[in-house]
Amino acid sequence: MTFDEQTATNLLGARPVQEIARARSRSLLLGVVGLVFCGIGLAVKGQTFWQSYLIAFYFWNGLTIGSMAVLMVHHLSGGGWGMVARRIWEAATRTLPLNAVLFLPIWMARTTLYPWMRPGATSDPVIAAKTLYLNVPFFTLRAVAYFAIWGTIIYFLNKWSREQDENPPMLPGPQDRRFRLLSGPCLVVYVLTITFMSVDWVMSLDPHWYSTIYGIITLGGQGLSALAFTILVLSFLAKFPPMSEVLGADQIHDLAKLMFAFVMLWAYFQVSQLIIVWSGNLPEEIPFYLERLQGIWAPISIVVLLCEFVLPFLLLLSRSLKRNPQRVKWVALLLLVARAIDVTWMIAPAPDFHRTGSTLSWVDFAVLIGMGGIWLTYFWSNLAGRALVPAKDPYFKEALAHGGH
Amino acid sequence: MEGSQYPKGDFREPLPLIGPGHSFRSITDKLTSVVLTKHTPKAWFATVAVGFLLFNGFLIAVTYLLFKGIGIWGTNIPVGWAFPIINFVWWIGIGHAGTLISAILLLFKQDWRTSINRFAEAMTLFAVMCAAIFPVIHTGRPWLAAYWLFPYPNAMTIWPNFRSPLIWDVFAVSTYGLVSALFWYIGLVPDMATFRDTAKHPLLKKFYGVLSLGWRGSARHWARYEHAYLLLAGLSTPLVLSVHTVVSFDFAVGIVPGWHATIFPPYFVAGAIYDGFAMVLTLAIPLRKMYHLEDFITMRHIENMAKVMLATGLVCIYGYACEAFFGWYSGNEYERFLVANRTYFGPYAWSYWVLILCNFLVPQMMWSKRMRRNVWALFTAAMFVNVGMWLERFVIIVTSLHRDFLPSSWEMYRPTIWDFSTFFGTVGLFVTLMFVFVRVLPMISVFEMRTLAPDARVKSSEGGAH
Repeated sequence: MTFDEQTATNLLGARPVQEIARARSRSLLLGVVGLVFCGIGLAVKGQTFWQSYLIAFYFWNGLTIGSMAVLMVHHLSGGGWGMVARRIWEAATRTLPLNAVLFLPIWMARTTLYPWMRPGATSDPVIAAKTLYLNVPFFTLRAVAYFAIWGTIIYFLNKWSREQDENPPMLPGPQDRRFRLLSGPCLVVYVLTITFMSVDWVMSLDPHWYSTIYGIITLGGQGLSALAFTILVLSFLAKFPPMSEVLGADQIHDLAKLMFAFVMLWAYFQVSQLIIVWSGNLPEEIPFYLERLQGIWAPISIVVLLCEFVLPFLLLLSRSLKRNPQRVKWVALLLLVARAIDVTWMIAPAPDFHRTGSTLSWVDFAVLIGMGGIWLTYFWSNLAGRALVPAKDPYFKEALAHGGH
Repeated sequence: MEGSQYPKGDFREPLPLIGPGHSFRSITDKLTSVVLTKHTPKAWFATVAVGFLLFNGFLIAVTYLLFKGIGIWGTNIPVGWAFPIINFVWWIGIGHAGTLISAILLLFKQDWRTSINRFAEAMTLFAVMCAAIFPVIHTGRPWLAAYWLFPYPNAMTIWPNFRSPLIWDVFAVSTYGLVSALFWYIGLVPDMATFRDTAKHPLLKKFYGVLSLGWRGSARHWARYEHAYLLLAGLSTPLVLSVHTVVSFDFAVGIVPGWHATIFPPYFVAGAIYDGFAMVLTLAIPLRKMYHLEDFITMRHIENMAKVMLATGLVCIYGYACEAFFGWYSGNEYERFLVANRTYFGPYAWSYWVLILCNFLVPQMMWSKRMRRNVWALFTAAMFVNVGMWLERFVIIVTSLHRDFLPSSWEMYRPTIWDFSTFFGTVGLFVTLMFVFVRVLPMISVFEMRTLAPDARVKSSEGGAH
């Protein structure tokens, strides 16, 4: 393919608008149906609804933030795999305003969710010892700070990317350098926000429990979600121009390899925590696993192990599978479902929920699907709003030319 | 491929991997002449003399140890694990850069690994040797090490505890040593044939001839070689993670505050790579100067290593931050005491802050491209990291142990001259082995460097396969 200004403009202009619109209306339908069930759930279940809500929020917000992280890694390292996926990540990051709005109900239902916020919680000496960190004003301030930080990063990465499309000069220079200058330090900031976010929003559900690797597990999980989601969307876009013209087997192969690496990393982080907590067998740590090995959670633990590690690991060993978007998408779908189960597994068995009987409920899935439908609707709109490939990025041509061998 | 893939003057354009004007001939001549010459640089003699002297100190220390037992060391209850394990972890960590460079960067198709992989692998081997010394001698009775370390049916029917990471260590480290040695040697074979063909002296010809295992450079040899090398790279890759993960379990599975942290596995692995790259730079910068290898170990290599150091160093710092934060967040009396003792009021608090200086503050200069391309600055940073990573293990091990749960068991740890002479002795051994290696074997892979020469590029793009 000879690449010139004209080709770039054509690539920028080509957009499967109708197909994306169809996907968006389907998502919207899913969201509306899901929301109806959410309403029923809220009416029937009352307080436990909020736990299901947190699960769904944590999963979909993870996709937004995970996409932001992968986007920054791409800006630092370059490569064709990022060029084809970049606009998907950018569209996913632009859902952040929705997430910020979706967080508000969590804040309002905070005393239902977080035992340490309830009146009288500080009579527990362990909680009392943590009030310097675990207090409502600081919790609120941190949440605002997370969204502000992510919002700033996302705003600039998207703004600069749009400027690339609009401005004719395709030369490298300060305009491109700024992506890198921002991404390096902001990856450090991102890791810190994710660590504290995971403590605030999930770990503190059980204020007695702590694990130092928790932030890294969250990070690995978000990265895995984002990559699986990317591959799914790419496999859909691959059928239409412009993606059908630029997406080669090499780019999908690289993305699948990266997803494979994240499958292994995620398993590595999880097994590290398991071995250490199991060996130590300390009363403040081991309940995490005891809760997850009781009742319905024992088989779910096995399902998480099988679907998030064993099966994808074995499948992704195949080279031909990793190079075919229409085949690897099934593994990506499996992983995304496994991630949703994993997030449920992380959150739902926490003690101190006003639940009777099983701690798993149908509302968990209803909210996951309802919120997901809304998130996806927003995502598809974002995706359709801009060119699907950053064809005027000065490295676009080189990055894709590399796919030749 | 004409020129660079990047536009002219691009900031992303990498520096060249090999100096200008090199051909197959000049690369082979330059790299073989380092070994097949009668002129050894004076600096080589000076370095080996120092290394060998230190190693003799080690021999004396160990001989005395065998006579007297470990009472000659500062190790005592409650600090029952001290220098031997600190040194063991430090050395094992150093080895990791070699494996990362040779295996993971090969799988990632990072061609900048080529000129540094050989001596980084040698470094791995020698570092593992130095590390292995400590588990063997740490009881003062190495003749009993066999049944402490290896599970074999013995007359006393005593077995090691299979749930103990210490026994996992035996397998992890011995596998690591074995695979690293194989990887290194297989990589050497084609070069040994080059040396056999280049050497003049009949004895040298014989020596390199035996080592080359009858390599004749036929297409079939190369095909098999490439296959074997790639397979070994695949096998080595998990070892980069597994060895230091198991080492971190040595501490983390116990319930000692300061040891029992779930972040330990990834944090130890990152620390190992950090330290390993620091050691590669510590060796590469002087060797490059001593043998005038600036064309082969270019600024590109140095800069990339600096970047890897910066990234892994930040992961390490993240580990320190998490340890401190979660120590406090746990709300646990002992965890909190440990954090405060380690960082603030404890008698070893100085070591923590020196560690922060060495591993955190100084290496941050590598954010600057100018610093990454300044060998003096980088050498200094690398030395700081070498010291810092040793101190990290000192901080983890000694400060966690010297304040037992019971204040009546509190005791200071003071290393003796024998602790130091054993440690510096292994440094001497390492330096000696490294420099002997540089003198008798090619420290840079000759045949792989040839693939980077412009001649090789022309052919490959004509053939259309690369």
